[in-house]
Amino acid sequence: MEIVILVFVVISALMAIACGIWVAIALGSAISKDDEKKISIDNEDP
Amino acid sequence: MSMVVPVAVVVAYLVLLTFVAVRARAAREFEEFSLAKRALPLALVFGSLAATYVGPGYSIGFVGRGFKNGFLFLGIGLAYCLQNILVGLLIAPRLRSLNNCHTLGDVIGQKYDRKCQVLAGIISVGLCAGFSAVMAKAGCVVLNDVFNLPNWSSVAIVVGITALYTTFGGLRASVITDAFQFTAFATLLPVTLLLVLVFHLKGGPATFTSQAISATTEGIKATPIIEIVGLVAAFLLGETLIPPYANRALASKTTQVSRNGFILAGIFSVVWFLVMISLGITARIVIPMDTHEDRVLLNLVRSIMPASGYALLLVVIVSVVMSSLDSLLNAGAVAFTQDIVKPFAELPNGRALNIGRAATIVIAIIASVGAVFVPGIIDGLLICYTIWAPAILPALVIGLWIKHPRPLAGILSTAAGTVVAVLFEFIIPDPLGIPAIIPAIISALLAYFLGHCFGNPKTSTEQSRM
Repeated sequence: MEIVILVFVVISALMAIACGIWVAIALGSAISKDDEKKISIDNEDP
Repeated sequence: MSMVVPVAVVVAYLVLLTFVAVRARAAREFEEFSLAKRALPLALVFGSLAATYVGPGYSIGFVGRGFKNGFLFLGIGLAYCLQNILVGLLIAPRLRSLNNCHTLGDVIGQKYDRKCQVLAGIISVGLCAGFSAVMAKAGCVVLNDVFNLPNWSSVAIVVGITALYTTFGGLRASVITDAFQFTAFATLLPVTLLLVLVFHLKGGPATFTSQAISATTEGIKATPIIEIVGLVAAFLLGETLIPPYANRALASKTTQVSRNGFILAGIFSVVWFLVMISLGITARIVIPMDTHEDRVLLNLVRSIMPASGYALLLVVIVSVVMSSLDSLLNAGAVAFTQDIVKPFAELPNGRALNIGRAATIVIAIIASVGAVFVPGIIDGLLICYTIWAPAILPALVIGLWIKHPRPLAGILSTAAGTVVAVLFEFIIPDPLGIPAIIPAIISALLAYFLGHCFGNPKTSTEQSRM
Protein backbone atom coordinates (compact mmCIF):
# COMPACT_ATOMS: atom_id res chain seq x y z
CA MET A 1 0.00 0.00 0.00
CA GLU A 2 2.76 2.45 1.01
CA ILE A 3 4.68 1.66 -2.16
CA VAL A 4 1.59 2.14 -4.33
CA ILE A 5 0.92 5.63 -2.90
CA LEU A 6 4.53 6.68 -3.37
CA VAL A 7 4.67 5.29 -6.93
CA PHE A 8 1.51 7.26 -7.70
CA VAL A 9 3.13 10.45 -6.36
CA VAL A 10 6.32 9.84 -8.37
CA ILE A 11 4.31 9.20 -11.56
CA SER A 12 2.42 12.47 -11.00
CA ALA A 13 5.70 14.37 -10.64
CA LEU A 14 7.01 12.80 -13.84
CA MET A 15 3.77 13.65 -15.67
CA ALA A 16 4.05 17.29 -14.59
CA ILE A 17 7.65 17.40 -15.83
CA ALA A 18 6.57 15.82 -19.14
CA CYS A 19 3.87 18.49 -19.55
CA GLY A 20 6.50 21.19 -18.94
CA ILE A 21 8.75 19.70 -21.62
CA TRP A 22 5.85 19.38 -24.10
CA VAL A 23 4.91 23.05 -23.66
CA ALA A 24 8.61 24.05 -23.95
CA ILE A 25 8.84 22.27 -27.31
CA ALA A 26 5.64 23.97 -28.52
CA LEU A 27 7.01 27.31 -27.34
CA GLY A 28 10.23 26.81 -29.32
CA SER A 29 8.24 25.93 -32.40
CA ALA A 30 5.92 28.97 -31.99
CA ILE A 31 8.87 31.34 -31.60
CA SER A 32 10.68 29.99 -34.66
CA LYS A 33 7.46 30.31 -36.71
CA ASP A 34 7.16 33.90 -35.45
CA ASP A 35 10.68 34.59 -36.66
CA GLU A 36 9.81 33.30 -40.15
CA LYS A 37 6.68 35.50 -40.22
CA LYS A 38 8.66 38.51 -39.01
CA ILE A 39 11.18 38.08 -41.82
CA SER A 40 8.41 37.81 -44.42
CA ILE A 41 6.59 40.90 -43.00
CA ASP A 42 9.85 42.88 -42.96
CA ASN A 43 10.48 41.89 -46.58
CA GLU A 44 6.95 43.01 -47.57
CA ASP A 45 7.31 46.43 -45.92
CA PRO A 46 8.62 49.08 -48.33
CA MET B 1 22.97 33.09 3.00
CA SER B 2 24.97 35.02 0.41
CA MET B 3 22.64 37.18 -1.71
CA VAL B 4 24.84 37.09 -4.81
CA VAL B 5 23.65 33.77 -6.23
CA PRO B 6 19.89 34.34 -5.67
CA VAL B 7 20.08 37.82 -7.14
CA ALA B 8 22.11 36.56 -10.15
CA VAL B 9 19.67 33.71 -10.84
CA VAL B 10 16.57 35.94 -10.58
CA VAL B 11 18.14 38.64 -12.78
CA ALA B 12 19.22 36.02 -15.36
CA TYR B 13 15.68 34.62 -15.36
CA LEU B 14 14.12 38.06 -15.87
CA VAL B 15 16.53 38.78 -18.74
CA LEU B 16 15.62 35.44 -20.38
CA LEU B 17 11.91 36.16 -19.90
CA THR B 18 12.28 39.58 -21.50
CA PHE B 19 14.12 37.95 -24.41
CA VAL B 20 11.26 35.46 -24.91
CA ALA B 21 8.69 38.27 -24.67
CA VAL B 22 10.55 40.36 -27.26
CA ARG B 23 10.69 37.36 -29.60
CA ALA B 24 6.89 37.13 -29.33
CA ARG B 25 6.86 40.46 -31.30
CA ALA B 26 4.62 43.46 -30.75
CA ALA B 27 0.95 43.24 -31.71
CA ARG B 28 0.23 45.19 -34.92
CA GLU B 29 -3.56 45.22 -34.70
CA PHE B 30 -6.29 44.87 -32.07
CA GLU B 31 -7.28 41.37 -33.27
CA GLU B 32 -3.71 40.27 -32.49
CA PHE B 33 -3.62 42.16 -29.16
CA SER B 34 -6.92 40.65 -27.97
CA LEU B 35 -7.11 37.21 -29.60
CA ALA B 36 -3.63 36.45 -30.99
CA LYS B 37 -5.37 36.18 -34.38
CA ARG B 38 -7.24 33.10 -33.15
CA ALA B 39 -4.31 30.86 -34.01
CA LEU B 40 -3.18 29.36 -30.67
CA PRO B 41 -2.22 25.66 -30.85
CA LEU B 42 -3.22 23.09 -28.23
CA ALA B 43 0.07 23.02 -26.27
CA LEU B 44 0.11 26.81 -25.87
CA VAL B 45 -3.59 27.01 -24.89
CA PHE B 46 -3.03 24.26 -22.32
CA GLY B 47 0.26 25.71 -20.99
CA SER B 48 -1.16 29.20 -20.78
CA LEU B 49 -4.36 28.07 -19.01
CA ALA B 50 -2.35 26.04 -16.50
CA ALA B 51 0.16 28.87 -15.99
CA THR B 52 -2.70 31.30 -15.36
CA TYR B 53 -4.54 29.19 -12.80
CA VAL B 54 -1.39 28.06 -10.98
CA GLY B 55 -0.95 31.23 -8.97
CA PRO B 56 0.46 31.61 -5.45
CA GLY B 57 -2.66 29.88 -4.03
CA TYR B 58 -2.21 26.70 -6.10
CA SER B 59 1.53 26.50 -5.38
CA ILE B 60 2.62 27.99 -2.02
CA GLY B 61 -0.95 27.72 -0.69
CA PHE B 62 -1.41 24.05 -1.61
CA VAL B 63 2.00 23.04 -0.21
CA GLY B 64 0.96 24.67 3.08
CA ARG B 65 -2.43 22.92 3.01
CA GLY B 66 -0.71 19.57 2.35
CA PHE B 67 1.55 20.24 5.34
CA LYS B 68 -1.42 20.90 7.66
CA ASN B 69 -4.29 18.88 6.15
CA GLY B 70 -2.67 16.12 4.05
CA PHE B 71 -4.75 14.93 1.12
CA LEU B 72 -7.96 16.73 2.24
CA PHE B 73 -7.38 19.51 -0.27
CA LEU B 74 -6.76 17.03 -3.08
CA GLY B 75 -10.40 15.97 -2.69
CA ILE B 76 -11.52 19.61 -2.75
CA GLY B 77 -9.23 20.31 -5.72
CA LEU B 78 -11.05 17.61 -7.72
CA ALA B 79 -13.93 20.11 -7.97
CA TYR B 80 -11.59 22.44 -9.86
CA CYS B 81 -10.59 19.63 -12.23
CA LEU B 82 -14.26 18.83 -12.82
CA GLN B 83 -15.02 22.49 -13.52
CA ASN B 84 -12.32 22.71 -16.21
CA ILE B 85 -13.42 19.48 -17.86
CA LEU B 86 -17.09 20.61 -17.89
CA VAL B 87 -16.10 23.98 -19.36
CA GLY B 88 -14.07 22.13 -22.00
CA LEU B 89 -16.92 19.80 -22.90
CA LEU B 90 -19.88 22.18 -22.67
CA ILE B 91 -18.85 25.83 -22.98
CA ALA B 92 -15.42 26.44 -24.56
CA PRO B 93 -16.32 25.01 -28.01
CA ARG B 94 -19.54 27.09 -28.04
CA LEU B 95 -17.57 30.22 -27.19
CA ARG B 96 -14.98 29.54 -29.89
CA SER B 97 -17.65 28.94 -32.53
CA LEU B 98 -19.09 32.48 -32.09
CA ASN B 99 -17.88 35.03 -34.61
CA ASN B 100 -16.58 38.53 -33.83
CA CYS B 101 -16.27 37.87 -30.10
CA HIS B 102 -13.17 39.16 -28.29
CA THR B 103 -14.44 38.91 -24.71
CA LEU B 104 -17.14 37.36 -22.53
CA GLY B 105 -18.86 40.76 -22.64
CA ASP B 106 -19.04 40.39 -26.42
CA VAL B 107 -20.62 36.96 -25.99
CA ILE B 108 -23.15 38.33 -23.50
CA GLY B 109 -23.78 41.30 -25.81
CA GLN B 110 -24.49 38.97 -28.73
CA LYS B 111 -26.82 36.82 -26.68
CA TYR B 112 -28.62 39.64 -24.78
CA ASP B 113 -28.02 43.32 -25.58
CA ARG B 114 -25.57 46.20 -25.36
CA LYS B 115 -26.50 47.12 -21.76
CA CYS B 116 -25.67 43.58 -20.62
CA GLN B 117 -22.36 43.76 -22.50
CA VAL B 118 -21.35 47.03 -20.80
CA LEU B 119 -22.36 45.66 -17.37
CA ALA B 120 -20.36 42.46 -17.99
CA GLY B 121 -17.44 44.61 -19.20
CA ILE B 122 -17.43 46.73 -16.04
CA ILE B 123 -17.49 43.60 -13.86
CA SER B 124 -14.74 41.97 -15.97
CA VAL B 125 -12.44 45.01 -15.75
CA GLY B 126 -13.09 45.38 -12.00
CA LEU B 127 -12.42 41.69 -11.41
CA CYS B 128 -9.22 41.70 -13.48
CA ALA B 129 -7.97 44.77 -11.59
CA GLY B 130 -8.84 43.07 -8.27
CA PHE B 131 -7.11 39.80 -9.21
CA SER B 132 -4.10 41.77 -10.51
CA ALA B 133 -3.83 43.58 -7.17
CA VAL B 134 -3.76 40.19 -5.40
CA MET B 135 -1.00 38.96 -7.75
CA ALA B 136 0.98 42.19 -7.25
CA LYS B 137 0.69 41.67 -3.49
CA ALA B 138 1.94 38.07 -3.85
CA GLY B 139 4.94 39.20 -5.93
CA CYS B 140 5.65 41.90 -3.37
CA VAL B 141 5.58 39.37 -0.49
CA VAL B 142 8.09 37.08 -2.25
CA LEU B 143 10.56 39.82 -3.19
CA ASN B 144 10.29 41.42 0.26
CA ASP B 145 10.91 38.10 1.91
CA VAL B 146 14.12 37.48 0.04
CA PHE B 147 15.64 40.83 -0.80
CA ASN B 148 14.13 42.99 1.97
CA LEU B 149 13.11 45.57 -0.61
CA PRO B 150 10.59 48.30 0.25
CA ASN B 151 7.00 47.40 -0.76
CA TRP B 152 6.75 49.98 -3.53
CA SER B 153 9.89 48.77 -5.29
CA SER B 154 8.88 45.08 -5.11
CA VAL B 155 5.50 45.89 -6.65
CA ALA B 156 7.13 48.14 -9.25
CA ILE B 157 9.54 45.39 -10.37
CA VAL B 158 6.91 42.64 -10.71
CA VAL B 159 4.10 44.76 -12.18
CA GLY B 160 6.43 46.94 -14.29
CA ILE B 161 8.11 44.08 -16.16
CA THR B 162 4.82 42.22 -16.66
CA ALA B 163 2.98 45.34 -17.86
CA LEU B 164 5.82 46.15 -20.26
CA TYR B 165 5.62 42.99 -22.33
CA THR B 166 1.82 42.69 -22.05
CA THR B 167 1.31 46.28 -23.23
CA PHE B 168 3.29 45.76 -26.42
CA GLY B 169 2.71 42.10 -27.21
CA GLY B 170 -0.91 41.67 -26.07
CA LEU B 171 -2.37 38.19 -25.74
CA ARG B 172 0.28 36.50 -27.85
CA ALA B 173 3.13 37.80 -25.66
CA SER B 174 1.12 36.83 -22.59
CA VAL B 175 0.60 33.27 -23.89
CA ILE B 176 4.22 32.86 -25.04
CA THR B 177 5.63 34.06 -21.72
CA ASP B 178 3.04 31.94 -19.86
CA ALA B 179 4.37 28.89 -21.73
CA PHE B 180 7.94 29.82 -20.73
CA GLN B 181 6.92 30.34 -17.10
CA PHE B 182 4.86 27.13 -17.09
CA THR B 183 7.93 25.21 -18.27
CA ALA B 184 9.94 26.71 -15.40
CA PHE B 185 7.58 25.82 -12.57
CA ALA B 186 6.12 22.59 -14.01
CA THR B 187 9.61 21.11 -14.12
CA LEU B 188 11.38 22.68 -11.11
CA LEU B 189 8.78 22.02 -8.38
CA PRO B 190 8.22 18.32 -9.29
CA VAL B 191 12.02 17.89 -9.47
CA THR B 192 12.19 19.36 -5.94
CA LEU B 193 9.63 16.76 -4.82
CA LEU B 194 11.61 13.92 -6.40
CA LEU B 195 14.81 15.17 -4.70
CA VAL B 196 13.08 15.23 -1.30
CA LEU B 197 11.67 11.73 -1.85
CA VAL B 198 15.03 10.29 -2.93
CA PHE B 199 17.41 12.02 -0.50
CA HIS B 200 15.42 13.24 2.52
CA LEU B 201 12.65 10.71 3.14
CA LYS B 202 13.95 9.02 6.27
CA GLY B 203 12.02 5.81 6.88
CA GLY B 204 10.97 5.35 3.24
CA PRO B 205 7.43 4.94 1.88
CA ALA B 206 6.01 3.95 5.29
CA THR B 207 6.95 7.35 6.75
CA PHE B 208 5.35 9.21 3.86
CA THR B 209 2.12 7.21 4.19
CA SER B 210 1.92 7.61 7.96
CA GLN B 211 2.48 11.38 7.68
CA ALA B 212 -0.14 11.57 4.94
CA ILE B 213 -2.70 9.64 7.01
CA SER B 214 -2.13 11.62 10.21
CA ALA B 215 -2.22 15.00 8.38
CA THR B 216 -5.38 14.09 6.47
CA THR B 217 -7.11 12.85 9.63
CA GLU B 218 -6.17 16.06 11.46
CA GLY B 219 -7.44 18.10 8.50
CA ILE B 220 -10.80 16.32 8.35
CA LYS B 221 -11.29 16.71 12.13
CA ALA B 222 -10.38 20.42 12.05
CA THR B 223 -12.56 21.39 9.06
CA PRO B 224 -16.35 21.66 9.54
CA ILE B 225 -18.53 20.10 6.82
CA ILE B 226 -20.07 23.48 5.90
CA GLU B 227 -16.57 24.86 5.28
CA ILE B 228 -15.76 21.91 3.02
CA VAL B 229 -19.04 22.52 1.10
CA GLY B 230 -18.13 26.21 0.71
CA LEU B 231 -14.62 25.36 -0.49
CA VAL B 232 -15.95 22.83 -3.01
CA ALA B 233 -18.41 25.48 -4.30
CA ALA B 234 -15.62 28.07 -4.58
CA PHE B 235 -13.33 25.64 -6.43
CA LEU B 236 -16.15 24.44 -8.67
CA LEU B 237 -17.57 27.85 -9.63
CA GLY B 238 -15.40 30.72 -8.39
CA GLU B 239 -12.81 30.80 -11.13
CA THR B 240 -14.99 29.43 -13.91
CA LEU B 241 -14.32 31.24 -17.18
CA ILE B 242 -12.84 34.37 -15.62
CA PRO B 243 -11.80 36.75 -18.45
CA PRO B 244 -8.27 35.35 -19.09
CA TYR B 245 -9.61 31.80 -19.49
CA ALA B 246 -12.42 32.96 -21.76
CA ASN B 247 -9.88 34.85 -23.91
CA ARG B 248 -7.90 31.63 -24.37
CA ALA B 249 -11.06 29.73 -25.32
CA LEU B 250 -11.86 32.43 -27.90
CA ALA B 251 -8.26 32.63 -29.20
CA SER B 252 -7.80 28.88 -29.81
CA LYS B 253 -7.07 27.73 -33.34
CA THR B 254 -10.22 25.57 -33.59
CA THR B 255 -13.19 24.55 -31.44
CA GLN B 256 -11.45 21.21 -30.86
CA VAL B 257 -8.30 22.92 -29.55
CA SER B 258 -10.46 25.06 -27.28
CA ARG B 259 -12.24 21.99 -25.86
CA ASN B 260 -9.11 19.85 -25.46
CA GLY B 261 -7.10 22.72 -23.93
CA PHE B 262 -9.58 23.02 -21.07
CA ILE B 263 -9.90 19.25 -20.59
CA LEU B 264 -6.11 18.79 -20.44
CA ALA B 265 -5.76 21.78 -18.08
CA GLY B 266 -8.38 20.14 -15.84
CA ILE B 267 -6.55 16.81 -15.78
CA PHE B 268 -3.24 18.60 -15.15
CA SER B 269 -4.74 20.36 -12.13
CA VAL B 270 -5.14 17.02 -10.30
CA VAL B 271 -1.55 16.03 -11.13
CA TRP B 272 -0.36 19.44 -9.95
CA PHE B 273 -2.35 19.42 -6.70
CA LEU B 274 -1.01 15.93 -5.92
CA VAL B 275 2.58 17.12 -6.42
CA MET B 276 2.08 20.25 -4.28
CA ILE B 277 0.30 18.39 -1.48
CA SER B 278 2.96 15.66 -1.50
CA LEU B 279 5.62 18.37 -1.14
CA GLY B 280 3.69 19.62 1.91
CA ILE B 281 3.50 16.10 3.39
CA THR B 282 7.22 15.47 2.89
CA ALA B 283 7.91 18.85 4.53
CA ARG B 284 6.44 17.42 7.76
CA ILE B 285 9.49 15.15 7.91
CA VAL B 286 12.01 17.92 7.18
CA ILE B 287 10.91 21.19 8.83
CA PRO B 288 9.40 22.03 12.28
CA MET B 289 5.67 21.39 12.65
CA ASP B 290 4.95 24.92 13.90
CA THR B 291 5.99 26.46 10.55
CA HIS B 292 3.37 28.86 9.15
CA GLU B 293 1.47 27.45 6.12
CA ASP B 294 2.67 30.16 3.74
CA ARG B 295 6.30 29.56 4.72
CA VAL B 296 6.34 25.77 4.25
CA LEU B 297 7.59 25.71 0.65
CA LEU B 298 10.21 28.41 1.20
CA ASN B 299 11.51 26.80 4.41
CA LEU B 300 11.50 23.29 2.92
CA VAL B 301 13.59 24.35 -0.08
CA ARG B 302 15.86 26.52 2.07
CA SER B 303 16.61 23.58 4.37
CA ILE B 304 17.33 20.97 1.69
CA MET B 305 18.97 22.93 -1.11
CA PRO B 306 22.04 25.12 -1.53
CA ALA B 307 21.69 28.85 -2.28
CA SER B 308 21.37 28.21 -6.01
CA GLY B 309 18.45 25.83 -5.40
CA TYR B 310 16.74 28.43 -3.25
CA ALA B 311 17.27 30.97 -6.01
CA LEU B 312 15.63 28.59 -8.48
CA LEU B 313 12.63 28.42 -6.21
CA LEU B 314 12.41 32.20 -6.30
CA VAL B 315 12.39 32.00 -10.06
CA VAL B 316 9.52 29.53 -9.87
CA ILE B 317 7.50 31.76 -7.57
CA VAL B 318 8.14 34.87 -9.64
CA SER B 319 7.01 32.83 -12.71
CA VAL B 320 3.87 31.72 -10.94
CA VAL B 321 2.96 35.32 -10.08
CA MET B 322 3.87 36.93 -13.41
CA SER B 323 2.13 34.30 -15.56
CA SER B 324 -1.16 34.98 -13.77
CA LEU B 325 -0.65 38.75 -13.70
CA ASP B 326 0.05 39.17 -17.43
CA SER B 327 -3.09 37.23 -18.38
CA LEU B 328 -5.22 39.38 -16.07
CA LEU B 329 -3.77 42.67 -17.31
CA ASN B 330 -4.40 41.72 -20.93
CA ALA B 331 -7.91 40.38 -20.27
CA GLY B 332 -8.87 43.53 -18.35
CA ALA B 333 -7.52 45.81 -21.09
CA VAL B 334 -9.33 43.92 -23.84
CA ALA B 335 -12.59 43.94 -21.84
CA PHE B 336 -12.26 47.70 -21.29
CA THR B 337 -11.72 48.41 -24.99
CA GLN B 338 -14.24 45.97 -26.38
CA ASP B 339 -17.06 46.08 -23.80
CA ILE B 340 -16.89 49.58 -22.30
CA VAL B 341 -15.45 51.86 -25.01
CA LYS B 342 -16.48 50.18 -28.28
CA PRO B 343 -20.27 50.09 -27.62
CA PHE B 344 -20.23 53.93 -27.46
CA ALA B 345 -17.66 54.88 -30.08
CA GLU B 346 -16.49 53.83 -33.52
CA LEU B 347 -12.98 52.49 -33.00
CA PRO B 348 -10.69 52.01 -35.96
CA ASN B 349 -8.17 49.19 -35.51
CA GLY B 350 -5.19 51.39 -34.62
CA ARG B 351 -7.14 53.40 -32.07
CA ALA B 352 -8.54 50.24 -30.44
CA LEU B 353 -5.00 48.91 -30.16
CA ASN B 354 -3.79 52.13 -28.52
CA ILE B 355 -6.72 52.17 -26.08
CA GLY B 356 -6.00 48.52 -25.22
CA ARG B 357 -2.35 49.35 -24.53
CA ALA B 358 -3.23 52.40 -22.44
CA ALA B 359 -5.79 50.34 -20.49
CA THR B 360 -3.10 47.72 -19.73
CA ILE B 361 -0.93 50.42 -18.15
CA VAL B 362 -3.84 51.94 -16.20
CA ILE B 363 -4.94 48.55 -14.82
CA ALA B 364 -1.31 47.82 -13.87
CA ILE B 365 -1.16 51.11 -11.94
CA ILE B 366 -4.50 50.39 -10.23
CA ALA B 367 -3.23 46.90 -9.31
CA SER B 368 -0.01 48.36 -7.87
CA VAL B 369 -1.91 50.83 -5.71
CA GLY B 370 -4.57 48.24 -4.81
CA ALA B 371 -1.91 45.74 -3.68
CA VAL B 372 -1.52 47.82 -0.50
CA PHE B 373 -5.19 47.22 0.43
CA VAL B 374 -5.33 43.47 -0.30
CA PRO B 375 -6.10 41.73 3.04
CA GLY B 376 -4.20 38.55 2.19
CA ILE B 377 -3.54 36.46 -0.92
CA ILE B 378 -6.15 33.73 -0.36
CA ASP B 379 -8.72 36.15 1.14
CA GLY B 380 -8.29 38.47 -1.84
CA LEU B 381 -8.80 35.64 -4.32
CA LEU B 382 -11.89 34.36 -2.51
CA ILE B 383 -13.50 37.85 -2.63
CA CYS B 384 -12.96 37.97 -6.42
CA TYR B 385 -14.37 34.44 -6.89
CA THR B 386 -17.43 35.24 -4.77
CA ILE B 387 -18.40 38.15 -6.99
CA TRP B 388 -17.47 36.72 -10.40
CA ALA B 389 -19.38 33.45 -10.39
CA PRO B 390 -22.86 34.78 -9.45
CA ALA B 391 -22.51 37.98 -11.49
CA ILE B 392 -21.58 36.44 -14.83
CA LEU B 393 -21.90 32.66 -14.97
CA PRO B 394 -25.70 32.13 -14.86
CA ALA B 395 -26.35 34.66 -17.66
CA LEU B 396 -23.41 33.39 -19.72
CA VAL B 397 -24.01 29.67 -19.45
CA ILE B 398 -27.80 29.82 -19.88
CA GLY B 399 -27.40 32.32 -22.72
CA LEU B 400 -25.11 29.94 -24.58
CA TRP B 401 -27.53 27.05 -24.25
CA ILE B 402 -31.05 28.45 -24.78
CA LYS B 403 -32.38 29.64 -28.13
CA HIS B 404 -33.82 33.10 -27.45
CA PRO B 405 -32.32 34.56 -24.26
CA ARG B 406 -34.03 37.75 -23.07
CA PRO B 407 -32.07 40.90 -22.18
CA LEU B 408 -34.05 41.52 -18.96
CA ALA B 409 -33.00 38.08 -17.69
CA GLY B 410 -29.33 38.89 -18.36
CA ILE B 411 -29.46 42.27 -16.62
CA LEU B 412 -31.44 41.02 -13.59
CA SER B 413 -29.25 37.96 -13.12
CA THR B 414 -26.01 39.97 -13.31
CA ALA B 415 -27.32 42.71 -11.00
CA ALA B 416 -28.83 40.30 -8.43
CA GLY B 417 -25.72 38.08 -8.40
CA THR B 418 -23.42 41.08 -7.86
CA VAL B 419 -25.58 42.78 -5.20
CA VAL B 420 -26.17 39.61 -3.14
CA ALA B 421 -22.48 38.60 -3.37
CA VAL B 422 -21.35 42.07 -2.19
CA LEU B 423 -24.05 42.10 0.54
CA PHE B 424 -23.06 38.72 2.03
CA GLU B 425 -19.32 39.24 1.52
CA PHE B 426 -18.91 42.77 2.93
CA ILE B 427 -22.05 44.13 4.61
CA ILE B 428 -23.51 41.17 6.56
CA PRO B 429 -20.76 38.56 6.21
CA ASP B 430 -21.36 34.97 7.25
CA PRO B 431 -24.92 35.27 8.68
CA LEU B 432 -25.65 31.50 8.73
CA GLY B 433 -22.13 30.22 8.23
CA ILE B 434 -22.90 29.74 4.52
CA PRO B 435 -20.30 31.09 2.05
CA ALA B 436 -21.62 34.17 0.16
CA ILE B 437 -21.16 32.50 -3.23
CA ILE B 438 -24.05 30.07 -2.60
CA PRO B 439 -26.92 32.55 -1.83
CA ALA B 440 -25.56 34.85 -4.55
CA ILE B 441 -25.75 32.15 -7.22
CA ILE B 442 -29.24 31.11 -6.10
CA SER B 443 -30.39 34.76 -6.29
CA ALA B 444 -28.85 35.17 -9.75
CA LEU B 445 -30.64 32.06 -11.01
CA LEU B 446 -33.99 33.20 -9.54
CA ALA B 447 -33.54 36.67 -11.03
CA TYR B 448 -32.75 35.10 -14.40
CA PHE B 449 -35.92 33.00 -14.24
CA LEU B 450 -38.05 36.09 -13.41
CA GLY B 451 -36.40 38.12 -16.18
CA HIS B 452 -37.00 35.33 -18.67
CA CYS B 453 -40.67 35.07 -17.70
CA PHE B 454 -41.42 38.80 -17.81
CA GLY B 455 -38.87 40.17 -20.28
CA ASN B 456 -39.27 40.70 -24.02
CA PRO B 457 -37.10 39.05 -26.65
CA LYS B 458 -34.29 41.08 -28.20
CA THR B 459 -35.50 43.87 -30.54
CA SER B 460 -34.80 43.58 -34.25
CA THR B 461 -32.53 46.68 -34.02
CA GLU B 462 -30.41 44.97 -31.39
CA GLN B 463 -30.35 41.77 -33.42
CA SER B 464 -29.16 43.55 -36.55
CA ARG B 465 -26.55 45.51 -34.60
CA MET B 466 -25.09 42.28 -33.25
